[in-house]
Amino acid sequence: MNSTTSLGGAPIALPYESYVVQLLGWNIPAEHIELVHPHWRGYETPSKFWHFGFAFMYFCIMVMSCLGNGIVLWIFGTTKSLRTPSNMFVVNQALLDMLMMIEMPLFVLNSLFYQRPIGWEVGCDIYALLGSVSGIGSAINNAAIAYDRYRTIAFPLDGRLQFGHAMAFILGTWVWAMPFSLLPLLRVWGRYVPEGFLTTCSFDYLTDDEDTRVFTASIFVWSYAFPLCLIIFFYCKLFNQVRFHEKMLKDQARKMNVKSLQTNQDAEQKSVEIRIAKVAFTIFFLFLCSWTPYATVAMIGAFGNRALLTPMSTMIPALTAKIVSCIDPWIYAINHPRFRGELLRRAPWFGVKEINPSDVGSVTTDRTTTTGTTESVSA
Amino acid sequence: MFPFVLLAYVVAVKVFKKTTPNGKVTVYLGKRDFIDHLDHIDPIDGIIVVDNDYLKGRKIYGQVTTTYRYGREEDEVMGLKFSKEMILAKEQIVPPKEKSELTPIQEKLMKKLGPNAFPFTFHFPQNAPCSVTLQPGESDTGKPLGVEYCVKTFVAEGEDDRVHKRSSIALAIKKLQYAPPTRGIRLPSSLISKGFTFSQGKLNLEVTLDREIYYHGEKVGANVIITNNSRKSVRNIKVYVVQHCEVTMVNAQYSRHVAGMETREGCPITPGASFSKVFYLVPLASSNKDRYGIALDGYLKDDDVNLASSTLVADGKGPAESIGIVISYSVRVKLNCGTLGGELVTDVPFKLLHPAPGTAEREKANALKKMKSIERSRYESSRYATDDEDNIVFEDFARLRLNEPE
Repeated sequence: MNSTTSLGGAPIALPYESYVVQLLGWNIPAEHIELVHPHWRGYETPSKFWHFGFAFMYFCIMVMSCLGNGIVLWIFGTTKSLRTPSNMFVVNQALLDMLMMIEMPLFVLNSLFYQRPIGWEVGCDIYALLGSVSGIGSAINNAAIAYDRYRTIAFPLDGRLQFGHAMAFILGTWVWAMPFSLLPLLRVWGRYVPEGFLTTCSFDYLTDDEDTRVFTASIFVWSYAFPLCLIIFFYCKLFNQVRFHEKMLKDQARKMNVKSLQTNQDAEQKSVEIRIAKVAFTIFFLFLCSWTPYATVAMIGAFGNRALLTPMSTMIPALTAKIVSCIDPWIYAINHPRFRGELLRRAPWFGVKEINPSDVGSVTTDRTTTTGTTESVSA
Repeated sequence: MFPFVLLAYVVAVKVFKKTTPNGKVTVYLGKRDFIDHLDHIDPIDGIIVVDNDYLKGRKIYGQVTTTYRYGREEDEVMGLKFSKEMILAKEQIVPPKEKSELTPIQEKLMKKLGPNAFPFTFHFPQNAPCSVTLQPGESDTGKPLGVEYCVKTFVAEGEDDRVHKRSSIALAIKKLQYAPPTRGIRLPSSLISKGFTFSQGKLNLEVTLDREIYYHGEKVGANVIITNNSRKSVRNIKVYVVQHCEVTMVNAQYSRHVAGMETREGCPITPGASFSKVFYLVPLASSNKDRYGIALDGYLKDDDVNLASSTLVADGKGPAESIGIVISYSVRVKLNCGTLGGELVTDVPFKLLHPAPGTAEREKANALKKMKSIERSRYESSRYATDDEDNIVFEDFARLRLNEPE
């Protein structure tokens, strides 16, 4: 307000002087003011167009997520041959993502009409609970998928999980999501509060006491660091196994005097190792993209320089976490050859092109009559 | 009609044939089972017949491929395939590149099939693994696991040209091993004893088999002698025939009981007592139906299923050099000494094989088989095109059950 100084000497009331700057939380009445951490009340309210912008993005994500996960649940639910133990994890992933999808209409309402959490504490709790269960659940479910794939690939003969085991693992993912979802809900440890534009809710990482800091550190390890470590561990082991199998097969081919032959078909196909590494890296990278921003925000809030946590910088991580929930079905299910086949059969309008499976079939190697050739077997 | 068919069966040479979908090219093979005699393997010899003026400058190529499938198709994830195909031999058949010596069956067929017939001969590589099929589980739908062989021919301009299905043929063949002509006189046996903590004396178990090599369908006799010098007693005796299956492609191995029995006869065998008895077990594929992972000799039709034969290794080569799926068998005897005493287990290895042609035992088995095939021919005689001139029976090659969904 110091712009009111010397303008032709006389203090003139400029038009914007009458404009009172609204700080975040202005629309929260006194009885609910507890909800909003003082940190947020230091920032101006964002323009309503920011609210509309986010509402629009969430709406798009909601539609995408509904479509992707809906198709996954529809196809898996109605195709008996696809109901293998491994695929149950994919179904679980879709369920968890659908759960996250449910919170989006709440957000859209919040942004468009209220610019605050509807339903005050209760609304906030529901919103945050959905996000927490689905977020932690899908993180650990990603790790479970990694484990299942490792078993399947490392021990193709007898490694696959039995149905009962898979179900136990799936139940485990839900149980895993519970402690850090229910404790804040019941206000036992931590609590759910609005954050950012005060239109989303999550656990409290700002309150300046030891309780909150330990809570934040624990949830960081429980729902981010631990699943991430498992994912890295299992995909690394899986990759090593694939390399080992490839080596065994090459050795055997060599014993029979069969040498790898670079046919056209072969050149188009990348080596198995590279293909596997790509898929594994995609999944790892997606997980990193989805949860690292949020984990960073929470850790900064609890232990770092809070000045960095502007309302905008906390809205973006929440958005990335949601975007991934609509990409997941594409990564897990639509990359699944048999699922794709079924989808193509049921919904040819969907535009999924199936590559002729016999062409992708197997890496062809050819026999050479020259023994003791110095030419090395191509990797 | 009936006596004639019977006659044809006794003297005729059976030939398998298959024609391309467009009907222009036909392949004839003298047999589908090729035997690995350890020092050499039967060559794959056949004849290909082409319609006049069909090729128009194109060529016919032939190849022998082996497919390793070491994981279920429905378990394939992340773009990985649990199967590998290798081309073991590849050659141009028509026009023939070089004149090779004809085998008797080729000569016979060449004479019969006229000027449009061309011979071809392929050889298995020396170390090629035997055909083995791992029995799929009840709910499995995809291709069965194992080692398969296939002869393929296709018409193309050049070796790497596009292959059309309508002018291609794929014939599934098997590579098998037979028992050596003599069974040997060595009787495998195992002697083992077990001491117990906190008590003196030992429990001795001796198991001796009545042969080293058994033929499929024969009963395996295991003479079990138990001498109990310990203070524990034996509660019961279990005897199994165990099939050991080593899948070298993924460096995995597992064992399955293919026959077994449990008895309390003579039990409890108290301290100081001894017991001796011969147990008989018959390992059969038919008693292990629908059990996932049981290894069978590669099979093409449901009526010739038998348990996989033991893998034989040529002299001077270690078993470590074997590739593919390596099969071995043992008789396993387990003595149960109660919860505290634990178990005493021993394995006695033996071999399970088909008798080599010409073996005395073979004749007996053949007589039985011939009876069966005569029986069968009563019903199937219409399927064979018999020819009384030189007694060649043509049988349509079993549709490739495994490779061609069509």
